[in-house]
Amino acid sequence: MKTLIKLANLKKVFSTDEVETHALSDINLQVRQGEYLSISGPSGCGKSTLLSLLGLLDTSSGGNYTLNGHEVADINSKQRAAIRNKEIGFVFQSFNLISELTVAENVALPLTYRKDISKTQRHEMVTAALEKVDMAHRTKHYPSQLSGGQQQRVAVARAIAGNPSIILADEPTGNLDSKNAELVMSLLDKLHAEGATICMVTHDPRGAKRAERIIEVFDGRIVSDSIVNSDDIEEAVA
Amino acid sequence: MNIFSDINFAFRTLIKNPKFTALTVFVMTTGLTLCIYMFSFIQGTMVAPLPFKDGERIRAVDMIYNGMTYQGTSIRVPDFDDLKKRVQSYEVFDAYDIGTVNLSTNDRAVKYTGHYVTENFFKISEAKPLLGRLLTNDDGLSGAEPVAVLSHTLWQSLFAGDADVLGKKLRVNTKPTTIVGVMPDSYQFPDAGRIWLPYTTTGVGVERSKSDYVAVYGVLKPEVTDEQANAEIKSLMAELEVKYPKLNSNTSARVWTIQEASMGDGTAVIILAMELAVGFILLLACINVGNLLFSRATEKGKETAIRTALGAPRSTIVMQMMWESVLICTISGVLAVLISGLWLEQSNRDLLEAFPFDPPFWWNMVITETSIVAAIVITLTTAFVTGILPALKATSGDFNATLRDGTRGAQSKSAGRLSKVIVVSEVVLSCALLLLSTGMVYSVHQQNSIDYGTTIENIFTVRVGLPEAEYKSLEKRQQYYQNIISSLQAKPEVADVSLTRTLPGNWASYENIAIDGVDYGKKPQYPSSNSVGVAHNYFQVMEVNLKSGRVFDSRDKIDSPLTAIVTENFVKKYYKDGDVLGKRFKFIETDQDWYTIVGVVNNVLHGQPTSLNIEKPTAFVSLQQTPKRFVSITVKTVAADASTVVGLSDIVTSVTQKIERDAPAYDVKTLRASIEERNAGMNFVSELFLVFAAASMVLAFSGIYGVMSNTIVQKTQEIGIRRALGADESDIYKHFIIQGIKQLSIGLVIGVPMGIALVKMLEQSSLAQGSLMLYIVIPALISAVIFMAIYYPVQRALKLEPCSALRYE
Repeated sequence: MKTLIKLANLKKVFSTDEVETHALSDINLQVRQGEYLSISGPSGCGKSTLLSLLGLLDTSSGGNYTLNGHEVADINSKQRAAIRNKEIGFVFQSFNLISELTVAENVALPLTYRKDISKTQRHEMVTAALEKVDMAHRTKHYPSQLSGGQQQRVAVARAIAGNPSIILADEPTGNLDSKNAELVMSLLDKLHAEGATICMVTHDPRGAKRAERIIEVFDGRIVSDSIVNSDDIEEAVA
Repeated sequence: MNIFSDINFAFRTLIKNPKFTALTVFVMTTGLTLCIYMFSFIQGTMVAPLPFKDGERIRAVDMIYNGMTYQGTSIRVPDFDDLKKRVQSYEVFDAYDIGTVNLSTNDRAVKYTGHYVTENFFKISEAKPLLGRLLTNDDGLSGAEPVAVLSHTLWQSLFAGDADVLGKKLRVNTKPTTIVGVMPDSYQFPDAGRIWLPYTTTGVGVERSKSDYVAVYGVLKPEVTDEQANAEIKSLMAELEVKYPKLNSNTSARVWTIQEASMGDGTAVIILAMELAVGFILLLACINVGNLLFSRATEKGKETAIRTALGAPRSTIVMQMMWESVLICTISGVLAVLISGLWLEQSNRDLLEAFPFDPPFWWNMVITETSIVAAIVITLTTAFVTGILPALKATSGDFNATLRDGTRGAQSKSAGRLSKVIVVSEVVLSCALLLLSTGMVYSVHQQNSIDYGTTIENIFTVRVGLPEAEYKSLEKRQQYYQNIISSLQAKPEVADVSLTRTLPGNWASYENIAIDGVDYGKKPQYPSSNSVGVAHNYFQVMEVNLKSGRVFDSRDKIDSPLTAIVTENFVKKYYKDGDVLGKRFKFIETDQDWYTIVGVVNNVLHGQPTSLNIEKPTAFVSLQQTPKRFVSITVKTVAADASTVVGLSDIVTSVTQKIERDAPAYDVKTLRASIEERNAGMNFVSELFLVFAAASMVLAFSGIYGVMSNTIVQKTQEIGIRRALGADESDIYKHFIIQGIKQLSIGLVIGVPMGIALVKMLEQSSLAQGSLMLYIVIPALISAVIFMAIYYPVQRALKLEPCSALRYE
């Protein structure tokens, strides 16, 4: 399969006046198209920072990052925005829906930043995405009128609406009860089954086991990169 | 926590945030200072009753003529006599007369305004003489010994405070008069009098059209309202109009307080404008402080949620938040009382310096008990308004959700809506307030720079009043004119000299006229015009341009047909076809012969530069044909600026003294000074509104910026979300600018018409003037502030990496 992401010696250093904190050091990682990857590790280990770098939400302090064949470590903010818009779909722990926009408007938001999509196309893509997450009947609702699980499903719809190359999910079930968490995880499984590349940060072992591949991060370094066997996946799903 | 620990907690919170505290206290102090100052100003000058036993019921009765109210000696004596017989609303209904009197002692002659009064006058004003006695009604009887009561000022200046002044003689208008009393310095009713003489004005034996005018006043019966008194006087005046259509057409009268009368027709509008302006400012201050407190409450959302989770009742949390606003408003209130007290003191000093006359005796611009009570009420109200809403709003959310990370920093939908409403309100109030205050400042600027239609800077003026007894003969008056002109022309400092009854910028006699050939019917509604007598060389000396026809010359003699020269607006108003030369009109009241128009000159402004006066037409008549006793001498100096000519005042005074000892010069000043004195009150109000405009600009702009930028700061996380979803910087700017334009548009759509309506309301009183420039500049400035308030916070938010913006709290 095609390599979608390639990180080479990637590092991230946070500097204050007196202290330098090495959040990530010498990260080397390849993610292939269609892979379902989970990143886990204890709090403060750097997994969310890694996801931010993967999602171009932050800039690295060194190393190389190739996304879909393009070197993206040193591109300008406009180009980064364009890549985020077309190549990456985000699902956040806190949903991050915009409270003043309806469900449909929230899902359409990334599409509104694309000049190559007409209004009709946008409408069709939004409807399709909402149907995939079974939220098409709530298009005119506001986030505050939805449950947590429903809000996260809308967030997933927003992430997949633009057919991105990869979905980055940061603790997608962290704010949900077990029932809703299961619904969202099933949704991600389904998307993966349909061919989506997913990279998920989680410290829920059951959730991590649903991925094909588990990366463990500790003190800013990748300490383990393992393939999950199918039995484990079935056990996690069960 | 008990109430003291709540206060202590609020106090510590404020101390811990000195910048926030300083900002909120500054904003609130500005609003409260303006409010308390204006309240005390209005109270002290216009609203508080006169300081007499019956002060609340003392009223002036003034003539309304052609819709305009004339104050002071405005009611014809026979009309007053008729009214006095029939009015029912008053305990006292009386009149006094005001006249310029020549006072001569053995060594000097001076001219002052004298009051001719009855016993009632002193009684209702609770007068107590410093020396001697007051005047009685017997003093006014025919054959009584001429007596006078002197003011403290005159006693000091003419008699050096001689304790034995009683019984001494003084020539009043050449008549020996015995001094029977001296008033204390504090006595000024209804204005600063210098000498009081017995009221002898009568309509008996005088042709109605030639009778004098008197000032009418009264004390209302306790049960009578102003509305009833006004209805009565209007009804009686309407009957007089029917009975004497020629003299009383277009006339009515009004009953109002002495304070209102002293401020003129526009008092109610002025008060309303001031109250509106100050109300808007206070509202702006409240919104700004409320918004700051609300932002703080939002920032402290997590702390509030923790308190709630730990079991604090909502009322306790609301009270804790309320104490902050109470403390801020109390500190601001105290500062505001102190600052407005100092400001009022300064205003009193400024008024004394700027006004050409003593301010009315009832003016008491200080912080009174009423002001303090008002300050406390206003402060507590603002504390409640600015505190309760943010506190309720901040404690109304789901505290459990706040405790979870999910809602951190993000505005709820209702909070977002509230922010929009606040921004729109700020724009509406700011726009209306700025249009109003700048419209007022602009109006005065326009009025001060107006063209009076004559030369101004090189003119020096004095007024003289020839003694009645010696100058009964018209020829003798003409002789005086010639003497004064030729004597002054001989002085090297003087380029030319002329005479006029009314100087530019001064009130001219506004009279009913009849145009020849127009039938005014049985109930005539006559047109009106200023009537100004001038010497023949007046137009040349004052550089008034002849537009057609001729100026006065030797053909206009005392025994030749009467002639007049009219201004262009006279022609425009009454001779639409412009063909005016040779046409005739006459003044109704004096009922003299027809005046033939022989020339047209440019417009000359008489009175204050209000739109009403600017539009008033003027008919100049020849002083050679109708010589008057009271005239102003206009001395044109060789120097371009009359104020730079050293000793001119002494030269003119000594020449007038030499020619007629009993006609001393008074009102000796440059024409520019005369005009500026006339406009002093207007300029004072303008300066006040300049302060208002500045304060409103500071509050409005800082408020709009604060609210708008705060809204955007609270949306930092949203900016992070949008960027995560692919929005680039231009998309983010575009999004917020579109949002800003929407709020700005709604605000301007409401605020601009509201501001224009307020300006239009004041335009009628010439207190404000609209201008297309202002209507464009003010909204443009507000728009600029909005865009800055969007640009800088968005720029700051964009400097954060999207991941930091997403975590922003």
